[in-house]
Amino acid sequence: MDEPETLGSVLKRRGFSRRSLLKFAIAMTSSLALPPSIAPLMAANLARAKRRSVIWLSFQECTGCLETLLRSSSPTIDSLIFDFISLDYQESLMAAAGTAAERTLREAVAANKGEYLLAIDGSIPTKDGGVYSLTGGRSNFDMLMEFAADAKAVLAIGTCAAYGGIPKAHPNPTGAVGVEDLVTNKPIVNIPGCPPVPEVLSGVLVHFVSFGKLPELDDRKRPLAYFGTTIHDQCYRRPFYDQGKFAKSFDDEGARQGWCLFELGCKGPITHNACASLKWNGGTSFPIESGHGCIGCSEPDFWDKGSFYTSLAGGSVAGWRNAGIAAAVGIAGGAAAALTARRKPHAEKAERDPDKPKPKTADAGSAGDVPAKPKDAGASSVDAAQATPKDADASSADAAPAKPKDADASSADAAPPNRDKQP
Amino acid sequence: MTDLSAFSNDGLVDALLMEVAGMLGRLIDRGETATIDLRGLPLSPACISDLEKRLGHGEISVQLDAAGRSEIHETSFPGVWWTRHCDEAGRLIALLIEVATVPDILRADPSDLADGLQRLAGATHFASHQHARHA
Amino acid sequence: MTLLDFARGIGLQVAVLIMIAGLFWRAAGVFLLRRRSQHSLARTSLIGRIAGGATMIFSRSIPRRTFWPRIGVSVALSTIFHVGFFAIIFGGAPHILIIHELTGLSWPNLPKGLVVIISGLTLAAMIAMLIRRIFHPVMRLLSTADDYLTWLFVFLPVLSGILLSGETVAGYETLLALHILSVELMMVWLPFGKLMHGMLVFASRGAMGFNFARKGAAT
Repeated sequence: MDEPETLGSVLKRRGFSRRSLLKFAIAMTSSLALPPSIAPLMAANLARAKRRSVIWLSFQECTGCLETLLRSSSPTIDSLIFDFISLDYQESLMAAAGTAAERTLREAVAANKGEYLLAIDGSIPTKDGGVYSLTGGRSNFDMLMEFAADAKAVLAIGTCAAYGGIPKAHPNPTGAVGVEDLVTNKPIVNIPGCPPVPEVLSGVLVHFVSFGKLPELDDRKRPLAYFGTTIHDQCYRRPFYDQGKFAKSFDDEGARQGWCLFELGCKGPITHNACASLKWNGGTSFPIESGHGCIGCSEPDFWDKGSFYTSLAGGSVAGWRNAGIAAAVGIAGGAAAALTARRKPHAEKAERDPDKPKPKTADAGSAGDVPAKPKDAGASSVDAAQATPKDADASSADAAPAKPKDADASSADAAPPNRDKQP
Repeated sequence: MTDLSAFSNDGLVDALLMEVAGMLGRLIDRGETATIDLRGLPLSPACISDLEKRLGHGEISVQLDAAGRSEIHETSFPGVWWTRHCDEAGRLIALLIEVATVPDILRADPSDLADGLQRLAGATHFASHQHARHA
Repeated sequence: MTLLDFARGIGLQVAVLIMIAGLFWRAAGVFLLRRRSQHSLARTSLIGRIAGGATMIFSRSIPRRTFWPRIGVSVALSTIFHVGFFAIIFGGAPHILIIHELTGLSWPNLPKGLVVIISGLTLAAMIAMLIRRIFHPVMRLLSTADDYLTWLFVFLPVLSGILLSGETVAGYETLLALHILSVELMMVWLPFGKLMHGMLVFASRGAMGFNFARKGAAT
């Protein structure tokens, strides 16, 4: 049997010099946020790399991920690497007859047991036995579990494969889930995005081929090199955010000036991805640069986080109807409390509040019930002061200073300091 | 649309120039080469063109056609090179400042040398064979 | 569902509804109480009484000269806090955004840097007030759990807000979730503790001024 072919010899055959491989490695180290000095080592490793197998299975998906990643008209080193390391894409397998394709796939898996990478795009429906997405009569779930069992690692390409994506959006009629919900005993790399940035997949595969291991991952199993920062941190409109210059609508002056889109619902601050720096279509643009806020497509459940146009500062409002009900409940409770207070026995209240005139009761005759407000200002202060204290002892010398109802202004001392008087 | 590319940060450009100076010092003292990956830094297009202007152009300009066009020129500071790599579709894939007597990529790779010799030997053998035939 | 989803979703709805119910409860509970019937003649017209009520709402904010030596510090701190707090709420861009979302009203925001500075001053004033409350013997004697809890539920939103604007202590998503949750906590507490003075002060000062004007006293 021949010595297994290396990537270097494949490239040489296709007319790519070592210099071009070095250039490719320089680009990759930049993309992977590795130090540029590591490029020669990466190039050397790539040249020596043997064929690795990658089996690609497409499940409940829109094919957007594949379109983004693989539609390449000119043969670049990227696509060569894909060709070299990829055992097969399921599409090309299916170009053969159904059962023949199946056999080929099984043979390939058997030959590379434990060594191949399994790349999945699309979510996996689990409801009703996974009947909502079948390939050749087999459910996605069955295929995933079978091929993951002998894989070295699983790459979940796109938000659907990573976290469930669009099919998982409420009410999730097919019971769609991401790969990590089903495969628990294999290393998983999530490459989310709707669709994901193509360079991310290249970077992960090149890293794997060059160094034999997967790149460093964050707590959501995404490559740190690409998902370590938020869109907000990389956004070219950040200076406007910091200055407080926001576009208020999609066609106002602020929008024309390219101001920050926070108020128009941009989810950049909570979204981790590389599109603000790598952009799409070979560095052409990304949503914010085109004037639309980030929708957070590389985060789990981004379809269920409320409107794309409600800012992070806002949230869901309760609605006027509910507010009205809450107000009615409040008024009812408060009124009940107030009315209970109002109905307390009058005697009890009078006892606590001697100043208050007692309302007419059955016995109106007692001296102590005399109202405290004598209209006769001419009465001596002694008599006037007598009216108020509860006890019948009318000794004015004691009682005088207490109450300001005495209209006789001569008892200036008796009256408490008026607000207008200066000390 | 406001030209955000006009938003330049002088402080950052100055800091980078100081770093290049440090790198050049180490090249002189210890022969150490070094590279700055400009796309890994938060530089606006204005910053980058500012930096390029301040580094200037030196005596050497190289056009490299390998899996797409690359342009490398020595800046007005010998040993400091401005490298711009593009892929076949003309998209920028790397932008670097390299500090070295000659950037690595300009050197012929040993395996490419061997390859070339093989082809050359084949060609000359063929030619001398022809020559022998017609002699 | 992440913490942020909860804070922006069901958490916000529930907190607002509790706050509305509580505010109406307290308001009804106060305004439906029995009022002392007035048997004397009013000294001023109805307009004069209303004017008196309105005047007292503001005049009571400025203490009498007599008392300045004793309460000047706490009045100054309180003013810095209140002015700062409302400048943050009504001048900060994200807050204007929420108000716009709820009511459709909008106005120009203050520059972010200025709001950050104001937040710092507000926090400092709050800490100073807390220190005073703890160490001044009379204040300590008078203070209850209500006072301390109210202080805490107002401090947390201002603190989490300034940390959010810096975006360095933790991830943006975490800080935003904590900030919104702290505001929701404050909203839920608002009708039931000392914070309710925010609305009742207008009622009590207004009523007092109304009655004073009725009696012909100065407001």
